[in-house]
Amino acid sequence: MPSHIPPATTFDDTLLQHGLEDSGIGAWDLNLATRELALSPTTRRLFDLTPDEGIDYTRFLSLIEPEDRERTEHAIERAIADGTHFDIQYRILTPHRASHWVRTRSAVVKQNGGTHLCGVVIDIEEQKQLEAALRIREGHLRSILETIPDAMIVIDSRGIMQFFSQAAVRQFGYTEREAIGQNVSMLMPNPDSARHDSYLARYRATGERHIIGIGRIVSGKRKDGTIFPMHLSIGEMQTEGEPYFTGFVRDLTEYQQTQARMQELQSELVHVSRLTAMGEMASALAHELNQPLAAISNYMKGSRRLLASDTEDNRQKIESALDRAAEQAIRAGQIIRRLRDFVSRGESEKRVEKASKLIEEAGALGLTGAREQGVSLHFNLDPDHDLVLVDRVQIQQVLVNLFRNALDAMTESAQRTMIVTSSRAANDMIEIAVSDTGHGIAKEHQARMFQTFFTTKTTGMGVGLSISRTIIEAHGGRMWTEDNPAGGATFRFTLPAAPSEGLTDAG
Amino acid sequence: MPVEGLVYVIDDDPAMRDSLDFLLDAAGLKARLFDSAVSFLEALPQLGPGCIVSDVRMPNLDGLELLKRLRETNKSLPIIIMTGHGDIPLAVEAMKLGAIDFIEKPFEDDRLIGTITAALSGAAQRQKGDAVAADIASRIASLSPRERQVLDGLVAGLSNKLIARDYDISPRTIEVYRANVMTKMQASSISELVRFAIRGGLLKD
Repeated sequence: MPSHIPPATTFDDTLLQHGLEDSGIGAWDLNLATRELALSPTTRRLFDLTPDEGIDYTRFLSLIEPEDRERTEHAIERAIADGTHFDIQYRILTPHRASHWVRTRSAVVKQNGGTHLCGVVIDIEEQKQLEAALRIREGHLRSILETIPDAMIVIDSRGIMQFFSQAAVRQFGYTEREAIGQNVSMLMPNPDSARHDSYLARYRATGERHIIGIGRIVSGKRKDGTIFPMHLSIGEMQTEGEPYFTGFVRDLTEYQQTQARMQELQSELVHVSRLTAMGEMASALAHELNQPLAAISNYMKGSRRLLASDTEDNRQKIESALDRAAEQAIRAGQIIRRLRDFVSRGESEKRVEKASKLIEEAGALGLTGAREQGVSLHFNLDPDHDLVLVDRVQIQQVLVNLFRNALDAMTESAQRTMIVTSSRAANDMIEIAVSDTGHGIAKEHQARMFQTFFTTKTTGMGVGLSISRTIIEAHGGRMWTEDNPAGGATFRFTLPAAPSEGLTDAG
Repeated sequence: MPVEGLVYVIDDDPAMRDSLDFLLDAAGLKARLFDSAVSFLEALPQLGPGCIVSDVRMPNLDGLELLKRLRETNKSLPIIIMTGHGDIPLAVEAMKLGAIDFIEKPFEDDRLIGTITAALSGAAQRQKGDAVAADIASRIASLSPRERQVLDGLVAGLSNKLIARDYDISPRTIEVYRANVMTKMQASSISELVRFAIRGGLLKD
């Protein structure tokens, strides 16, 4: 409200007065000489006074909520002393209802030799309530932001930090004061630190999102200069036409340490279970290894005998025997190599492998002794869907496990048939199934089949299937069992198919 | 020493058959090879005198089953069982079923060929009265009662621990007895000990 009244030629004072009164704006006039107070009807209503109730300055002050009184009086007295104006908000105490907020703007006006302090009074209760609600909401929001473990940082379009949560203080080591107003690039190591401004510029220019709404693992830099891994997700908002970016930061240091430890334990367990599987297979493998060794021994001893008789026509026989002995030595070597590969604690490295070859090699280990047990083996492998992306040793471990289980399940069966199939499955997967004619899986055991340390065998550790499932799931596949209609069980699992050879480059 | 008859080799492993054929040939013996006990039994009615050398672990029909089937026929061919690893109860079972010997792969050629030639010349059946058998019997006789108990346990395929429990003595003591038994019997391995025990007549059903 301007401090000078417009000229009477433009405005009808009475009309204006009515307009103001009707729109809830009250007027007041304090004669500074007499301290008499004149109040318009609306002002009287706002102050909760009857139309004919007498009022002076002292009475007015008593109407103000005690908490606000001194402050208000001080503002008024200063305006009077300086001859200027004031604008103050205060609460009016009313006998009938709760105190309510009003705002008074007034100026010192000199007229006809007298000095007055006059102006308007407005009800601002509603606005105050809104403000209070906002403040409560902000308080809630703040306490929420301070409670969540993720740090939150808001920057403007130039990268200047506007908000720095308590968690951010903990994570980065800067106080709120040190951070706010600074460029967010101080929280990053190079090269991001040097390039962040250009990232923002590029986004402003192209609107191309590289991290907003996506979330990424990046490096953060603490105040002490240490670098830590963090997950950053960024949201964008427009406030008053200005873009702001909110970053949520999760410190991954601990997470990564836990992950690494988990992986270590997992691979340890995988290795141990391979050793266990080896132990279970040892007797069958000893037999397997004995065959070439016995054959070599026979060739050698036979040759030795022929040499003793020393006739020329034995020469060719001996040469041929030596060749065959050498072949058997190689056969023994291959058996040992298979064992060593299987037991060795290889790095987990996924490669494109032929499922058929994995099955064949695993069969060489896991199906040792199967023929002697009278098990008939059938392989229905799809040659068109053969390539998988896997860790060879781990998948062989799964296969060996399933093969051994199938053989064990059939020891008491009259009919002993094992069928291994591979086929294409949905979602670019290849499904491998191992089916037997054994005793099947008891209903009450089905739910617990894949639990660690669950076993129905007298000598089992109960880790085989649980490890197998873990391995398959780590490959992005699934593993489950089914009953065969004719008896026995089928174990199925899926593995990610690798693009066929011709597509490798394009893939 | 020329002997009559063929050696019938039964083994499902081609390399084992071929190498045995070679070894026997080098020793002046003639062999006929079979890849399974089933095919051998099929051919049996037409076969002349000889000696069988058979693997114990084979698909469909294993070595022990072969021994049982042979008992049912009127052809009594001597049979030597080959085993992949020292499975004592299995060996004892084979001997009870009438095998004249069992040998572990890989084997000493002298022992195999010696056993085969003895079998072919019919000596195996008479061996019990031989000097060898008498010698072994005298070794068994030299054992103390406790040592004899330990020998019985070992030949039955029991572990030290089980023998210890049977006689209520500590496994450590059993180890000492066991060492004494091995020395007195002049056996270099458990399987040899079992063989001696069988030859010495300790194990007949």
